[in-house]
Amino acid sequence: MRIDRTQRGWAIASLIMIAVFTAVYVAYAARAPQGPRGGSAFGLTFGVIGFGFMIVAALLGARKRVPTWRIGRAQAWMRGHLWLGLLSLPVILFHGGFHFGGTLTSVLMWLLIITVVSGLFGAELQHYVPRVMTSDVKLETIYDEIGNVRKLLREEADRAVETVCGPIGVGKSASEEVLRAGGLSAARPMSLTGSLGAVAAAAETAVLTEEECAPLRQFYLSEMRPFLEQPRVRGSRLGDADKAHGAFSGLRTLLPPPAQATVEDLEDICDEARQLVRQERLHHLLHGWLLVHIPLSLALIILGAVHAVMALRYS
Amino acid sequence: MSTISRLPELVEITIDGRPVRVAAGTSVFDAARMNGTAIPTLCHLQNETPVGVCRLCVVDTGARVLAASCVRPVEPGMKVVTNSEKVLSARKTLLELLMADHPSPCARQEKSGDCELETLAQAAGVTQPRFLKRTVSRGIDDSSLAIAVDHDACILCDRCIRGCNEIKNNFVLGRMGKGYSAGIAFDLNAAMGDSTCISCGECMVSCPTGALTNKTVVGTSIAAGSDAEGFEAEELLQLPVFKGVSGTFLELNRGAIVKRRFRPGEIICREGEFGSTAFYILEGKARVSLSAPIAHVKTQGGAKGLFKKLTSTLAARDADVRSEETRDRTIPIDASVDLAYGNPVAELGSGDLFGEMTCMNFYPRSATVIAETDVVAFEMLRNVLDIMMKNKSFRAQIDQNYRKRALENHLRGVPMFADLSPDFIEHLKGSVELQRFAPGQIIARQGDAAGSFYLVRIGFVKISETYPGGELVLAYLSRGDYFGEIGLLGGGVRTATCTALDHVELVRISGGDFRDMVERFPSVRQGLEAVAAERATQNQQRMQTVRSVPIDQFLSQGLMEAQSLLILDLNSCTRCDACVNACADAHDGVTRLVREGLRFEQYLVATSCRQCRDPLCMVGCPVGSIRRRNSLEVIIEDWCIGCGLCARNCPYGNINLHPFDVMVDDLERPGRKKAVVKQKATSCDLCTHLKEPSCVYACPHDAAHRVDPRTFFSEMLGGGSSK
Repeated sequence: MRIDRTQRGWAIASLIMIAVFTAVYVAYAARAPQGPRGGSAFGLTFGVIGFGFMIVAALLGARKRVPTWRIGRAQAWMRGHLWLGLLSLPVILFHGGFHFGGTLTSVLMWLLIITVVSGLFGAELQHYVPRVMTSDVKLETIYDEIGNVRKLLREEADRAVETVCGPIGVGKSASEEVLRAGGLSAARPMSLTGSLGAVAAAAETAVLTEEECAPLRQFYLSEMRPFLEQPRVRGSRLGDADKAHGAFSGLRTLLPPPAQATVEDLEDICDEARQLVRQERLHHLLHGWLLVHIPLSLALIILGAVHAVMALRYS
Repeated sequence: MSTISRLPELVEITIDGRPVRVAAGTSVFDAARMNGTAIPTLCHLQNETPVGVCRLCVVDTGARVLAASCVRPVEPGMKVVTNSEKVLSARKTLLELLMADHPSPCARQEKSGDCELETLAQAAGVTQPRFLKRTVSRGIDDSSLAIAVDHDACILCDRCIRGCNEIKNNFVLGRMGKGYSAGIAFDLNAAMGDSTCISCGECMVSCPTGALTNKTVVGTSIAAGSDAEGFEAEELLQLPVFKGVSGTFLELNRGAIVKRRFRPGEIICREGEFGSTAFYILEGKARVSLSAPIAHVKTQGGAKGLFKKLTSTLAARDADVRSEETRDRTIPIDASVDLAYGNPVAELGSGDLFGEMTCMNFYPRSATVIAETDVVAFEMLRNVLDIMMKNKSFRAQIDQNYRKRALENHLRGVPMFADLSPDFIEHLKGSVELQRFAPGQIIARQGDAAGSFYLVRIGFVKISETYPGGELVLAYLSRGDYFGEIGLLGGGVRTATCTALDHVELVRISGGDFRDMVERFPSVRQGLEAVAAERATQNQQRMQTVRSVPIDQFLSQGLMEAQSLLILDLNSCTRCDACVNACADAHDGVTRLVREGLRFEQYLVATSCRQCRDPLCMVGCPVGSIRRRNSLEVIIEDWCIGCGLCARNCPYGNINLHPFDVMVDDLERPGRKKAVVKQKATSCDLCTHLKEPSCVYACPHDAAHRVDPRTFFSEMLGGGSSK
């Protein structure tokens, strides 16, 4: 979620609340004979408010599980999550009088701090990373489809090279075989016998001699195809845009004019493969922090409830 | 004068030193042939007039130049040498020249090894011609279903032209162009499939090379099951419906038509299945029906109960009235009958043809056909059906069946024609004309004089208007739709161009009959005028939209035609897929949204139905159940059979298939029912059952928005007016 002017209402409300809570706390702390304590009336009030904020913030996860329920727009829930979650930290600090207390309360305080900080970090990431992804990954695809798109890129590159060099000895997928049969598939049978097809098969004519295409074949099989198969492995110069451009420029000088268009296609394919790597990394960055934030939030709520019961029952 | 005096005079000549006597007027070629000397030729055939264009039959007659023996008559005392060094050298040069202009091996040589040119060239030792090969292709013509035309392989011998004109008297083939662009042409240089060619096969039989080849060589045959009976061409020609069909064609396409016998209760074809054949019933009766539930997908639950789970159910139009839902009483299918909405069952009998659209256009089967009695039927492939439909006797029978059985239903299926009197329908039965159009053929052009009114019987017609800089598709019309009324009721000028998208058959009502109809039946006139006015207004509004925002990119993507787009602001979107999950939740687990699509700056136009300018989804629906509302939104009518063609046709993946468990009649055990999964096509319904689209409501990052594209993009592009 972007932190922009649309958040102004929540920001002002939060500032007012924190100002009020601070004023109350200062007044209460100044008058408390033994200093501020969690068990006092003010302390308990802060505790209830802070825990309430935490619960409301945590309910966002539950809200997302029922997206069609008309219980307020998810956007409002997200804003509430962000600002109330943030407010819960000072309120809980007021609740404990800035003391971490015993073991359970110390654990709770640290959990709260880490959860809020991870949430702030996540909010920051969600503010910036989408923009970076939009500008850097022009050919973005659905994250779960990246594997498939990579496979298609590999097949496309194989075809491009085979068009000028002839067979390069790599296996073909079933979908490629269909394509080579002139696009004839079960969906559009020409006859019930599975006709040989009125559509000509895709050309496999080599336009270069073996000697002419040797540099291209060598480059493709030894460098580019391994890169397309495992683009995340570091070390390949094709993983770096500048180095890849240099590599392709060098290759162009070794090849005759009929192969230049193919080299251009291959360079585009590498570029797309690089973009997919970038998308994956950004996606992990964008969602990876949740691996910390969500379990800690859950633990916080459970332990917070335990603390509340124990404090009220045994105090 | 005695008979003997009228006999031709005999002439004595010498061929390769051997004296021979032949009748005066005999060609040197025939004189040599009759006396056992074979002279090679390409352009000459015994049963065709010699023209001497290939010059390969040159012989030395002692004159200054070599003579083409096929056109040179014998003269008394002529000394003919057919195999001197000079003659052989000339022939070899000619073969080299011809081979330089001929792809080697050509289709015929490749398939059967009997290209006459290549055989002669090999015999003469011509391997690599000394002359440069042709660099500019003259092209191929694959439009005919029976014959493949490779203009590059044509050596301009004219044998096909003479076969077509002299032997068959069809006068379809001729020569066109000069020099390098010279070639054979069908009619006025039309594509063979679009010409008046009846595919008799004479040209193909005459052709010495692979320029005209039978498509059988690429495997046109029906899978012959145990119940299939093959034919000899003579046997078929005995049947009245095959009267006039070329025996050559049937001989060459043996296997592309079989006779099948079906026992009572046996399924002939099933709705939704893809196929490539049509059936013609010779004997017996068959029942044609739809097993898909006649209902549409309705999502319920959200509006009333806060915590109620949304469910999708099937609802008939009486149970759930949708805006602008058609009230058609009949369902168009790929046969000579329509089915009733409430009881989609009809009977087919002897002389009925069904599966024509499947066969000609490869659309899915529109209905299930089951034999009621013992049924004998011809099953035929596209090339045979095409020829049959060009055959007068077959056409006459199909037309008669249509006029007798379906025309009235067809007319009455159009609500405004429901008031036509029986006598006028009878009159129309005799006066309407059935017209066929090939894919891409223009039926009526914008600006032309309007002379007829048309009902679509088979296929799809594209209605489009041209405007400066482009074309706007107004509608795709399918079986049961009509057009031409605006021009006839208005200024007498066509306001749009109507083009056949596939193999189209139209019922043409002449301008005179149309005028009679609107004069005699005021309700028809009022109805037509109302529809014409409505269409004209809509078209004007669309044109206004197009003109007001002349942004080519948006136009080409169809975005400005959309009324509501789902836009994702990628700078805010965290790719959490909450929108997709919400859509799936709102539609019983079947999402109607994919978070992928076109990008404009930081905005992603997600794949959710956007009511395209050119709604390709509507093309091919075998039962015509997908159409636009007047508001342009897509509506899927109750009789969708769930074949999925619209989903495959949608270039943006915006149509999905929603499975339902339903009880249907068990076709294998009559009288019993069984549970099966049936599918219904669905597209984004903007969550009309809820107050706000679920995708937008569920986005936690304020990234998903439903927008009016005109306003949105106008503002995005710098505050341009969206008026």
